[in-house]
Amino acid sequence: MSKEDMLARMAQAIIDGRKEDAQALALEAVAGGLDLLEVIEKGYVPGLQKVGELWEKGEYFLPELISSAECMKAAMSVLQPELKKAHLEAPVRGRVVIGTIEGDIHDIGKNLVASMMQAHGFDVQDLGADVKLERFIETAEETGADFICLSSLLTTTMLNQKKFMELLKSRNLAGRFKVLVGGAPVTQRWASEIGADGYAENAPAAVRLALELMGK
Amino acid sequence: MSRIVKVLSHGLEIRAEDGDRLSDRLQAAGIPISVYCSKRGLCGKCFVEVVGGSLPPAGKKEAAWIEQKNLGENFRLACQFDIAGDLEVNVPAAFTVQPVPVLPEIPRSVVAPDPAVRMYELELPRPEIASPASLFDLVAEGLGLEGLKIPGGLLKDLPAAVEKGRSRVTVAVHLDKEIIAVEPGSALDRNFGLAVDVGTTTLVMDLLDLDSGRTLDTEAALNGQVRLGADVISRITYAYGNPAKAAELRRLVLGTLNDMIGRLLDRKKIDRDSVHEVVISGNTAMSHLLLGVPVDTLATAPYHAVFSRAPVIPASEAGLVVNAHSPVYFSPNIKSFVGGDIASGLLASRLAANDGHFLLIDLGTNGELVLKAGSELITTSTAAGPAFEGMNISCGMPALPGAVFRARDNGSVDVWTVGGGEATGICGTGLIDIAAIALARGDIAPNGAVRTGDKKIRVTDTLSLSQDDVRQLQLACAAVKSGVRIMLGRNGLTASDLGGIYIAGAFGSYLNIPNSMSLGLLPSIDANKLVFIGNSSLAGTRLLLQSKGEREKVEALVRGIRYLSLASDPEFQDQFINALDFGPWT
Repeated sequence: MSKEDMLARMAQAIIDGRKEDAQALALEAVAGGLDLLEVIEKGYVPGLQKVGELWEKGEYFLPELISSAECMKAAMSVLQPELKKAHLEAPVRGRVVIGTIEGDIHDIGKNLVASMMQAHGFDVQDLGADVKLERFIETAEETGADFICLSSLLTTTMLNQKKFMELLKSRNLAGRFKVLVGGAPVTQRWASEIGADGYAENAPAAVRLALELMGK
Repeated sequence: MSRIVKVLSHGLEIRAEDGDRLSDRLQAAGIPISVYCSKRGLCGKCFVEVVGGSLPPAGKKEAAWIEQKNLGENFRLACQFDIAGDLEVNVPAAFTVQPVPVLPEIPRSVVAPDPAVRMYELELPRPEIASPASLFDLVAEGLGLEGLKIPGGLLKDLPAAVEKGRSRVTVAVHLDKEIIAVEPGSALDRNFGLAVDVGTTTLVMDLLDLDSGRTLDTEAALNGQVRLGADVISRITYAYGNPAKAAELRRLVLGTLNDMIGRLLDRKKIDRDSVHEVVISGNTAMSHLLLGVPVDTLATAPYHAVFSRAPVIPASEAGLVVNAHSPVYFSPNIKSFVGGDIASGLLASRLAANDGHFLLIDLGTNGELVLKAGSELITTSTAAGPAFEGMNISCGMPALPGAVFRARDNGSVDVWTVGGGEATGICGTGLIDIAAIALARGDIAPNGAVRTGDKKIRVTDTLSLSQDDVRQLQLACAAVKSGVRIMLGRNGLTASDLGGIYIAGAFGSYLNIPNSMSLGLLPSIDANKLVFIGNSSLAGTRLLLQSKGEREKVEALVRGIRYLSLASDPEFQDQFINALDFGPWT
């Protein structure tokens, strides 16, 4: 099988959500001594991009997104250790601290965003649900995060996003991290009103936004 | 100048002033004239026939509608009609809002009447000058009840009643402990009560004769809070951290309830003071708002309520305009998002008395589930979102007149609307039918992708579903499906173990079983095992009013029920995602 064929099959495995195939192809790439960074960039990542397009068109929904992220994870579980052995690193697109905000326990949407960002090569620290405002800041400082992503599924807990922005300001940390907000009741207007750096309606949009803000 | 408007169609005479808007006067008189466009003359739905009095010339739009709708020359829009003289009008039924559809109910659960409030007729002995006993002591003695209490306010009425009844009085006594009403003379036949189901969308009220337990009449109306938010979360949000807004919500629901009470009692020619008890069932947020208790803790994790068992309070304190001292009993809430309405429904369904495993599903913004697994009762709530109420659907609407509530594929798609008129939107059951038809035709793929050329699912010439609408339905169905699956799984059961599924709530019996199964909303089990129990909350509320023994039962049910939290279940996310694809249960 030519390299091009193989890269195309990697992309297709991600698009179709075939986890075993995605992993088997990664093993094959390792055995065949392929350039693993190229495998990621030109094999798997285009698959993820295609999934994003199909989502945009309404062809794909949440299960397909999750599957693609899981495929990516399976492939990376093979590729990461090999890269490490060769003293290489998959490029990190950005560092993210994410969580469902204080007072809110709804975390499926947040989990999706975290998975998709991770699949796209972001380093993601997922703090879980009902996360205290302080904790976002502490973790972001520890990890040198580029982004803090706040999720709220209720109009009432959305107010804590505003509190968070105020807290950042009071700590003289405004501008230090890019704050992205999301969740069912959240809108671009709200994001602008509280001075967040961005709003994403769904997981693929969050990835796109983060990539844009990283200038990539 | 004061004028008289005779509404011949309704047998009413209304007072009005010059310059009053006719639609306002009709509405104030309780005639439900349609004003979809908020009286701006834009919808043409409030025509009345003017049969007496002066007739102003028709406006341009009015004239066009008169021709289009084939109305007589003497029809005018009530919302554009300024009263300038005495009038005689007819209000055709076609231009009134059909009453809120009252859901069918479970075959009436029967219970022998044993009301909490009983009436006793007494002939008081004349006080003797040698040892003049107080009137209240005479009453207590006559009743033979020790430690009897009476509200201070009622003492003031006692002498007049005794005087007027010439020493013969009838007293209403709550639980043989407290007098709550005193009537002169014989009034044994006037012991009435109200059973009230306070839904987020609809309020339904039954008037009962407490001694016979018979239902005399029913009244339904949209909850006055609806204009401040369609679903329960939006109400909680509105009231959040703002006592003035919480008070506004309380006023609105009380306003609707008191209007309903007024209409019911007027119709039955029953005096307000003869209503001696009120029993209310509502979800946790509704009962909190109604009692003026803050809902803030329901709004953020860990989402706890302030109370589950509300104290019994007098009607005057509750804000209900009936006899001021009548007790108001609330059906106990089970948990934050499983309220007294479910407790009442559970009581009425007699679920706990069945042999085997049964499931009760109440579908709304929150889908509440109660599972009877063997001898145990377990409950949970699953956030279905407002799609089933038609709220986040582009052409969605509640099941009110004009809503498509049923559809069938006959080669072309036939639709039925509530009230039979023109289709103006689609409600939950219609949405399920349309989606199931589209799925069967291949217009929707099992993963929910719309496959038609224009990416729309046609409902009628003017209505269609978008890709996003289908996604909303998938989310709603998946919430219910995954909730049921986890509930069953955690108790070692599968759908085939169920002896039956009871379906309560907003869908009534209009939910199409095969369609619900083909989408995966309901498990594929023998259709005979699916039982629609309609407004089981009201049925249970009535039982609570009819017999005080039922209150002990419902309180025992609530104490014994176990709560399962889906949100903290590690399997929930996977189950939810897996449930998103349409298709029968496997």
